[in-house]
Amino acid sequence: MRSTPLLAALSAASLLLVGCGSGSSSSGEVRLRMIESLTSPERTKLIKTLLADFEKANPTIKVELISPPLDSADQKITQILQTKKGLDVLEVRDHTAKSFSNNGWLAELPTTDWPGWADLTELAQKKAVEVGGKPFLIPYGFYERTLFYRTDWGMAQPPTTWEELYEAGKKMTSGDKFGYSFRGGKGGADYVVQMISAYNGDKLNPEKSFYLKDKRTIFSTPEAAQAMDLFVKIFKEASPPDSVSWGYPEMVQGFTSGVTGMLIQDPEVIKTVEESSVKAWSTAPIPKGPTGYAFQPVGYAGWGATSFSEHPKEAVKLVQFLSEAKQSIAFAKGNSLIPISKQAQNDPQFSQGAWKAYLQAQQDPKQVITIRPVDYPGWSQFLVDSDRDAQALITGKKTTAEVLKSWDAFWTDQAKKVS
Amino acid sequence: MRPAFTLRKARFIALCLLPGVVFVVLFTYYPMIRGMVIAFQRYNLFDITSTPFVGLENFRAVLAEDRFWTALRNTGTWVAVSLFFQFFLGFGLALLLRRHFRGRGLYQAWVFFPWAMSGFLIGLLWRWMFNGQFGVINDLLLRTGIIDQRIGFLATPGWAMTSVIVANVWYGVTFFAIMIMAALQSVPKELYEAADVDGASKLRQFWHVTLPHIRPTLALIVLLRIIWILNFPDLIYSMTGGGPAGSTDIITTFLIQQVIGGDYGRGGAVGLLILGLLLAFSVFYMNATRFEKAR
Amino acid sequence: MRRALKVIVLGVWLLITLFPLYWIIVTSLKPKAEIFTLPIKYWPGNVTFEHYADLFSFADFGAYLLNSLLVSLVAAAGVTVIGVLGGYTLARFSFPGRGALMLAFLVTQMLPLFIALGPLYLLMSDLDLLNRLAGLMLVYVAMLVPFSTIIMRGFYERVPVALEEAAQVDGASRIVAMVRVVIPVMLPGIAATFIFAFVQCWNELFLAITFIDSEDAKTIPVAMNSFITQYDIDWGSMAAATVVSVLPTLVLFAAIRRYIVEGLTAGAVKG
Repeated sequence: MRSTPLLAALSAASLLLVGCGSGSSSSGEVRLRMIESLTSPERTKLIKTLLADFEKANPTIKVELISPPLDSADQKITQILQTKKGLDVLEVRDHTAKSFSNNGWLAELPTTDWPGWADLTELAQKKAVEVGGKPFLIPYGFYERTLFYRTDWGMAQPPTTWEELYEAGKKMTSGDKFGYSFRGGKGGADYVVQMISAYNGDKLNPEKSFYLKDKRTIFSTPEAAQAMDLFVKIFKEASPPDSVSWGYPEMVQGFTSGVTGMLIQDPEVIKTVEESSVKAWSTAPIPKGPTGYAFQPVGYAGWGATSFSEHPKEAVKLVQFLSEAKQSIAFAKGNSLIPISKQAQNDPQFSQGAWKAYLQAQQDPKQVITIRPVDYPGWSQFLVDSDRDAQALITGKKTTAEVLKSWDAFWTDQAKKVS
Repeated sequence: MRPAFTLRKARFIALCLLPGVVFVVLFTYYPMIRGMVIAFQRYNLFDITSTPFVGLENFRAVLAEDRFWTALRNTGTWVAVSLFFQFFLGFGLALLLRRHFRGRGLYQAWVFFPWAMSGFLIGLLWRWMFNGQFGVINDLLLRTGIIDQRIGFLATPGWAMTSVIVANVWYGVTFFAIMIMAALQSVPKELYEAADVDGASKLRQFWHVTLPHIRPTLALIVLLRIIWILNFPDLIYSMTGGGPAGSTDIITTFLIQQVIGGDYGRGGAVGLLILGLLLAFSVFYMNATRFEKAR
Repeated sequence: MRRALKVIVLGVWLLITLFPLYWIIVTSLKPKAEIFTLPIKYWPGNVTFEHYADLFSFADFGAYLLNSLLVSLVAAAGVTVIGVLGGYTLARFSFPGRGALMLAFLVTQMLPLFIALGPLYLLMSDLDLLNRLAGLMLVYVAMLVPFSTIIMRGFYERVPVALEEAAQVDGASRIVAMVRVVIPVMLPGIAATFIFAFVQCWNELFLAITFIDSEDAKTIPVAMNSFITQYDIDWGSMAAATVVSVLPTLVLFAAIRRYIVEGLTAGAVKG
């Protein structure tokens, strides 16, 4: 009898545990769990309405949507995938596609008996099979950067080169106003890479955009150093000092709150700017390097199904539903993305106003779309490391030469690991 | 005075300790040891189809990184400066609150409120106040004429560390005040009475009666605090994320970055290094303070 | 003169302590546009409760509050019971492995949580405890056992053994003696341990965001973490959520402040 209180406590605890478990689903109903990565409150709302339509069309299927905070979303998705259970449909990004398929977490999606496939644009079909040669995801839209600029800050024409952007930015900078929404925080290194690419001009190999056609890295050239020095100058002379740590939200907010006059970002920002208090603005293609070239990858993300789903049929059904013209166009419009459906090409929304800059870029042979080495093993490490290097560079803790040397060494080494 | 060891008592002891031990073994030691094993494996989420043992490779990779050493130096600053101000401000507060006065209870209730908040929230709170454009701290300093231009507190390497330490001090003074107050109350009244009889001044009393009596307690509190501050990435994480340019990176935020980068192997290696460092420091510290006690 | 100085110093410190609280309240009451207006207003031009309304309409904050409350109460109760039992044995008996056990408990406090997070996640998945409040309760208990046990031990050591021995001489068993005689004396310490554990669970972020992603099992810190979105930190909602989430612990703290000071230091003082 001596141990009674202990036993009582333990059994009370176990009772509680049983009571707290989440309820199981009712019979005959299929529950899908789906996770998104590039989350924002507006987008989550939009996805939920699409899911509601899906549930209405398929009354026996219920979908639970998981929306982790953006910063840690991909890590969360990886973590869940690792357990190989409890997930059916997921958002796969260009950054994560390779690692997810490497680990065998993605199911191959059928394309032949699905009419929606033929409706995808050529680019969408190409990107669907880009990693691993099999359709592990259906893109839901594309991201390409464009230049947003204030038309009421005394700039007659948008800058067409980085040098012009720097000069224009310097002129705009006075007092509380600054020329350029610089990105020094998370994702900042991508901008210096973009400049370096432009400065390397037609020597660059667009299929493996961190390398030149002669197999050296783009970080090994004197042009790379020029680009990087200008990058630092743009930060020091044309950007808010705070922007040393700006990531996506801050740089967009900098533009929409009237702190900065220029911003280079994805089309999804069009909507944000339209809804902001900034009224006099326009868009232009991204600036070029001295030899007249500009390079950028087309970013994408899409929906995929897990290889271990207990309801593979329903999971594929949901992916296909989201990728069909009606839903995918609604999604592209809601997030202002470049759409995946051929039917959208006739849609006026994607060829007017701020979107014109995209058409302009598409028609310019020197605005080149590239493929980044996202499928190299060191990619995710480089994303983390390079941001910190870029920050060290603009704060004067590292020199251009030091940073370029380490990036060159890193990618030279990566090339050996892949071949 | 402790009862002798018998079988009946052994059963009682085992039963009482069992729940706690089970919890700690299952949910702390098991994953912790697994985590340590990973430190010796190539374990990168990029491809976990094969995770071979690679000996000390992860440790070598970590130690070869400049950032690790920067983080280690920053950790020193972060712990030492935070601790210094927390300790002395906390001590001061405890001394002021030692004697009863009207409204002391109410005062304590209000002044101890940071203790009720999480490091994450406190980080956000201060991040908002230190904001370079709309932050209230910039505004106050401008209005009082201390500065004539807004400072990007969290954006400038030198200021960022100062800012996170300010927040940490604000947070931690309470803890020290509570602990030291209790320690002060544990000094037997007779000791002071004796000192009064001897006609010792208040300062001398403090130096010769109070301090020696509470020194062991202080030593322990300080040790716990050092460990805790070092293992406390929450605040930095939500204020600066270790930036700008790694200037507020401490060893624990460095660890988080390794894990987020997907390299669990290196993450494990950093974790083990932290553990080793803390253990070594604790042993050294305890020897040093015990030595003093004996003297 | 010295009195005046003391009052001034205490006053200044109170101001420093409370200003952030004041500021977060003011922010939570400003309309969104006013939060980002220069010059900064020290009192909202238009007081609005929209951020609070948003919390409870848009974000289902009520459910998160309940989840947090449930998890924190159960885990704190569990860990207190374990601490009462474990602390007693550690204080009253000497047995082989006692020192090792104490050391093993202490070491857990030195370990950075992140090293164990990956394997712990897999374990929780195997036990089917992900996305369940029960799972969170279990890891919280585990996280706090060492602390509560050691602090309770410190408390027992302050209670004279003679008390129990007297009761045992009267024929009571050890357990009965413990429950009838020792525990009443220790109530302040038990309360303090409970509150401390409660606050820790209430505030815990990293474990919660790791193990919970289902909407219906989110706790307050998890929900608040999601205010940090891609576009901006929603400072208005964040401020309102901070105010709401701090209130319960503040009330609790004020209610039994006395015991906390005594209780929290028991372990440390006796060391």
